[in-house]
Amino acid sequence: MTRADDRPASLSLQSVSKHFGPVRAVDGIDLAIGQDEFFSLLGPSGSGKTTMLRIIAGLERPTTGRVLVRGQDVTTMPPYRRRIGMVFQNFLLFPHKTVAENIVFPLRMQNVARAERDERLLWAMKLLRLDGLAERYPNELSGGQQQRVSLARGLISRPALLLLDEPLANLDRELRAEMEVEIRRYQKELNIPFVYVTHNQEEALTMSDRIAVMRNGVFEQIGPRNDVYRKPATAFVAAFVGQSNQLTARAEMVGPDSLTLTWRGHRLHLPHPGGIKAGDDVRFFIKYEDIEVTPERTAPGNHVGGHLRDIIFKGQTANYIVSLADGSEIIASASSRDQKVTIGEAVSVTWPASAGMCFKT
Amino acid sequence: MTRIPPLLLLAGPGVLFILVTLLLPLLAIFMFSFWRTESYELYPDWNLDNYRVLFTEAAYRTFLLRSLIGALVTSLLCLLYAWPVAYFIARHGGRYRLLLVLLLAAPFFTGVILRIAALQGIFGPGGLINMALGIFGLPPIAALMYTPLAATIGHVYLFVPFMVTAIYLSLVNFNFDLLETAKINGAGPWRAFIEVTWPLNWIGTAIGLALVFIPCLASAVTPRFLGGPSATSFGMSLGQQFGETGTWALGSAMGVVLFAFSLLVLAVMGFTVNLKRSGFTGMGAR
Repeated sequence: MTRADDRPASLSLQSVSKHFGPVRAVDGIDLAIGQDEFFSLLGPSGSGKTTMLRIIAGLERPTTGRVLVRGQDVTTMPPYRRRIGMVFQNFLLFPHKTVAENIVFPLRMQNVARAERDERLLWAMKLLRLDGLAERYPNELSGGQQQRVSLARGLISRPALLLLDEPLANLDRELRAEMEVEIRRYQKELNIPFVYVTHNQEEALTMSDRIAVMRNGVFEQIGPRNDVYRKPATAFVAAFVGQSNQLTARAEMVGPDSLTLTWRGHRLHLPHPGGIKAGDDVRFFIKYEDIEVTPERTAPGNHVGGHLRDIIFKGQTANYIVSLADGSEIIASASSRDQKVTIGEAVSVTWPASAGMCFKT
Repeated sequence: MTRIPPLLLLAGPGVLFILVTLLLPLLAIFMFSFWRTESYELYPDWNLDNYRVLFTEAAYRTFLLRSLIGALVTSLLCLLYAWPVAYFIARHGGRYRLLLVLLLAAPFFTGVILRIAALQGIFGPGGLINMALGIFGLPPIAALMYTPLAATIGHVYLFVPFMVTAIYLSLVNFNFDLLETAKINGAGPWRAFIEVTWPLNWIGTAIGLALVFIPCLASAVTPRFLGGPSATSFGMSLGQQFGETGTWALGSAMGVVLFAFSLLVLAVMGFTVNLKRSGFTGMGAR
């Protein structure tokens, strides 16, 4: 294997575990991240995603396993030799240094000559649209500006890898949406692998090429963002990613890809990932946007009747809440523009037999 | 009836107290320093003789220089000793942090004379160290008996808690995550300390230095008990002017000189502090 300096960067983790006493924060993770990949670790707080990031950065030593950056084993290497960039949720800019001093800090630590430092500073300031802020101190900047300075500091030395720990969590919604697009653009332009930690599924879905959904120190699912969204591997992923109706029933007839069950008197067909026998209790998840609410039954597939209790206006979309005869509810989401149904009327709820996912409880 | 503004009511007593107990005596000392003493009496005939004596007589210059060097050495030793201790407590003290800092102040529960007497009991001719050496047939360490070294050790012992407390209070407000950030960005442990920890804790350190340097410069009791004849300090001599010799005017002039040097040190310290670069947020911004 040749290892030229311009060889694309990659990261691999080999059965990495981190135990804090009896707690297994990270439990035997294997992972390989490609050269130009935007990779997200998605999970609720306490799932071990931040611990994993800290292991990659060198801030924590794994209990077992190996960490390799560009093929080099860095497991025991201190953080300052790894040449990894990192961006934090609370920015962590040096308050006693100006914007310019903060950004060139990694280059100074690598003893890069002044001329090159200045050149790279200009490049980074331009890339992150920080012109005119060079002499400001961090406390004179807005949150968004601080986060861009933090990104510039992480990127200026063209690291082997950039780690981002919930970098947008402290920004307001509008700015967050804007930064999501920008951060993905930097990753694609610079061709540096990004490992992005977040508990926000929207962020992960917007930016990532691949997503790993993490819980209790292990990956529940790892795959392209479409797969994680469309084909959840576990009930946890189905519940965590996207917005779904969660229902329970007993499987009746199980085929290779599809099964049949009766839910509150309605015969339904659902896909399943395998491992379910007839007679098993199952949970199934139908995403809001897969469901159509119409005055009359129009499409084939699964059908349930009810009446429209309310419409929750969300802007671009609206949530349609349908009450069924026995009092249970199903929620659908659709464009808010052409509402064909009115509140209080009888409606038909349909979704294709290929939509949703069914798991053994 | 005119109403007194509430701010004046609040600040008034404090201002009055400072005026009576601090400013007035200072002004009096300043005034006396231009007077003359004769047979234990002060005479208000204005002259500069006291200052002339101070700056021309070799003995006073020696005392002043000795005190300045002593205070400087003590401050630096305290600095070297206090940083690791304060750092350790702030970083690893956990829930015992406060207790550990209070323990450092434990010697203050007794009086200063008692503490110095205790040191004498360790360093002196019949003290712990030299007695122990005697048991093994070794000669006593002369350098510890009534020498400037013994006085300096005494000063370090007396003043180091101030330094530790000042640095500790600074470090507990320091965000150690910044240290991790520096390391991720390529700074080794020492580089990270110099780039981040030291500058962001400089104000606390400077306060510690001032808290040690200034009382040490004026110190009289410690060199008298521990230092011996070759350690006569400016403060000791100053004390004598108000006591044995009764030359109040000269003593006052010495007090003014001491005060001036302390101000100078504070000014130098203040000069090194750039509020914008101190990491204090919300101060000096814009």
